Amino acid sequence: MMKTERIKNYWKQATEDWNYIFTKELKTIFRDGGVLIFFFLVPLAYPLLYSFIYTDEVVRDVPIAVVDADGSTTSRLYLRHLDATPDVHIVSYCADMHEAENLVRRRDAYGIVYIPESFTADLTAGRQTHVSAFSDMSGLLYYKSVLLANTNVSLDMNAKIKVERAGSSTDEETKVVEHPIAYEEVNLYNPAAGFASFLIPAVLVLIIQQTLLLGVGMITGTARENNLFRHPVPIDRHYTGLLRIVFGKAMAYLMIYLPISVYVLGVVPHLFRLNQLGAPSTLGLFAIPLLLACIFFAMTVGGLMRRRETCILLIVFSSVPLLFISGISWPGASISPFWRYVSWLFPSTFGINGFVKINNMGARLIDVRPEWDALWAQAIVYFLAACLVYRNDILGARRRFAARLDALRHKTC
Amino acid sequence: MQSIYRVAVREMRSLARRPLMWFCMVLAPLFCYVFFTSLMASGLPTNLPLGLVDCDRTTTTRQLARNLDAFQQTDIVREYASVSDARRDMQRGLIYGFYYIPEGTTRKAQRQTVPTVSFYTNYSFLIAGSLLYRDMRTMSELVSGAATQAVLYARGATTGQAMAFLQPVVIDSHPIGNPWLNYSVYLSNTLVPGMLMLFVFMVTVYTISMEIKEQTARGWLLAARGSMWKALTGKLLPQTLVFWLVGSLYVVYLYGFLHFPCHCGIATMLLVMALFVLASQGMGVIMISTLPTPRLGLSFASLWGVISFSICGMSFPVMGMHPVLQGVSYLFPLRHYFLLYVNCALDGYPLANAWPFVAGLLAFAILPLLLLPRLKHALLYSQYEP
Repeated sequence: MMKTERIKNYWKQATEDWNYIFTKELKTIFRDGGVLIFFFLVPLAYPLLYSFIYTDEVVRDVPIAVVDADGSTTSRLYLRHLDATPDVHIVSYCADMHEAENLVRRRDAYGIVYIPESFTADLTAGRQTHVSAFSDMSGLLYYKSVLLANTNVSLDMNAKIKVERAGSSTDEETKVVEHPIAYEEVNLYNPAAGFASFLIPAVLVLIIQQTLLLGVGMITGTARENNLFRHPVPIDRHYTGLLRIVFGKAMAYLMIYLPISVYVLGVVPHLFRLNQLGAPSTLGLFAIPLLLACIFFAMTVGGLMRRRETCILLIVFSSVPLLFISGISWPGASISPFWRYVSWLFPSTFGINGFVKINNMGARLIDVRPEWDALWAQAIVYFLAACLVYRNDILGARRRFAARLDALRHKTC
Repeated sequence: MQSIYRVAVREMRSLARRPLMWFCMVLAPLFCYVFFTSLMASGLPTNLPLGLVDCDRTTTTRQLARNLDAFQQTDIVREYASVSDARRDMQRGLIYGFYYIPEGTTRKAQRQTVPTVSFYTNYSFLIAGSLLYRDMRTMSELVSGAATQAVLYARGATTGQAMAFLQPVVIDSHPIGNPWLNYSVYLSNTLVPGMLMLFVFMVTVYTISMEIKEQTARGWLLAARGSMWKALTGKLLPQTLVFWLVGSLYVVYLYGFLHFPCHCGIATMLLVMALFVLASQGMGVIMISTLPTPRLGLSFASLWGVISFSICGMSFPVMGMHPVLQGVSYLFPLRHYFLLYVNCALDGYPLANAWPFVAGLLAFAILPLLLLPRLKHALLYSQYEP
């Protein structure tokens, strides 16, 4: 009887503390303007801003200059076809390379196409002729546009010339001469090969992790600044159980981030008409370990912050390396083993890869099993780490408290 | 002069005392130098995993697969029995694309009824996808050509004649300044200075806002005998020096040691770096003067710093953005630095050719002078609110 009573009391106390810590944490969050910026303003506004920047997805009509040294019907035909491609736009027909170079120097043109004097002569004589395409390398997309447009036009022209020379008699034979084996290209999961569809999903996951880190870091930093013994949690009878503290706080963050992640991972891609092939249930199941891993990671790292503003200086810059290390922009297959192991420390790596696979490519949960498992593992490891951080801090604060008490006692006697 | 010196000494002491400042001014920038240059050390990703679905299984198609595998950027890691199997592995991220040869390809080719082969690329990974696309496309052209080529040789054509028949017009591509299409050249040159700029923003805003928070602003002004511009110069000058030295280290490392293309000479880039540091500091002062609380000032710095990477045009060209953003992009110092780097180091034009951007950076450095009265007022009368 006594025993059951004790257990009952224990649980009563535990849930009471848990409730208290949970509500207290929510109050702290909603009273702190700085934390509100990170928990609400940034996740709400940043994705919109990013999507706005990349809204056009691709670059069309890159301005180029052309130098037509041949000036024949064929060369003009070539240039007309070039101008008609969606990728480039001829802004100037220059007399010589010098004039064209001046346009590039003033950044009025981002590429030069040079048709040699011998263009028609070569073609008539049955020799190969070389068209030179120069492109500005300040952005790879300029190069891609200039090269793609020229390749397409030249392949087209080549096919026609071949047909003329072969002198085929039927349409079917013409087709065979043009292309003995035809090919087609299929752009999967990003049909327009657009920039937003590729980058935004990664940024979305990163926003969740980074804002959590910033917010939690700021809460802990502030608490330490205000508390007498540089203690991250108040000295209070409710703040005694370690698990209660860690769980109580984590649940408060989780409650805020559930709607936030529905917005960030579900609504934003919809708003900007990005790919959304993933089943909502898969996405939901994937988001749970992602959020838990991010929250406990944030509590571990944020728990180390000594001052309110420190976290901004330490965390904001890491977003850029984290994006690169995740393997979205720089292909994951080309990342050296060392950096790959480093990347496993961060929930964002698995979160980004898993989310991109589910959202962009319609993967099922079983296809992202490695990421899913890794996120659960991180959630557990960082949960233990967070407990350790808080435990050390509480013990440290107690020691300082005891030392202070001792000193005061000595003084009085 | 004396008061500037006094403030500078005061600032140096305060900087040296804070480990956080050591981290932001020296350690973290150095880490970024090593990180980005070593991550992309290979320049251009090679041996990207690729799948093959060969339903035909003849000598011809196997030859095709071997040719594709021989390309530098692609590496056929697995063969699949069906398209769905390949697609599943693509969804798992094991391959970036696959080549599909349907059954009967060889038969149709021999019968001259134009078979179709297809290649599928995953453009969710834009860079890997683009690289694969290029190889697979070249490959397909070659396949097409190979069939005709054999016939031409048999008729007694020379290689030159055969090639002239197969490919009358050839495109010679000349990527100016980066003939290797080195990805690192294209990113490291702007990305890492961008990181440095982020730290300059942060440190400028942080050190000034800490004077407000710790209520030492009056002491700071007193050391400068009440002159705001002297106080600011004394405070920022040591930071300018440190950041410029750290930035110069990168310039020397990148152009002198890693031999990234630099047609203008290292000295010009050192000058551009100095201007860039000054401009970033100016921008930092603007931030803290307009929003003189640590929280809002630092949020402003983070926003501006992180957006810089996207809006400066190094990855996605500014011409492809909304017209409003094209104008807004000039409010970011990184945009000016990027254009100066392209003008000087990559293309080798004289600095004078890009004078508007030099003027832009100078404007960032000078404009905060207009905000000095506002900053002074904030320092003297504003109360710290968490």
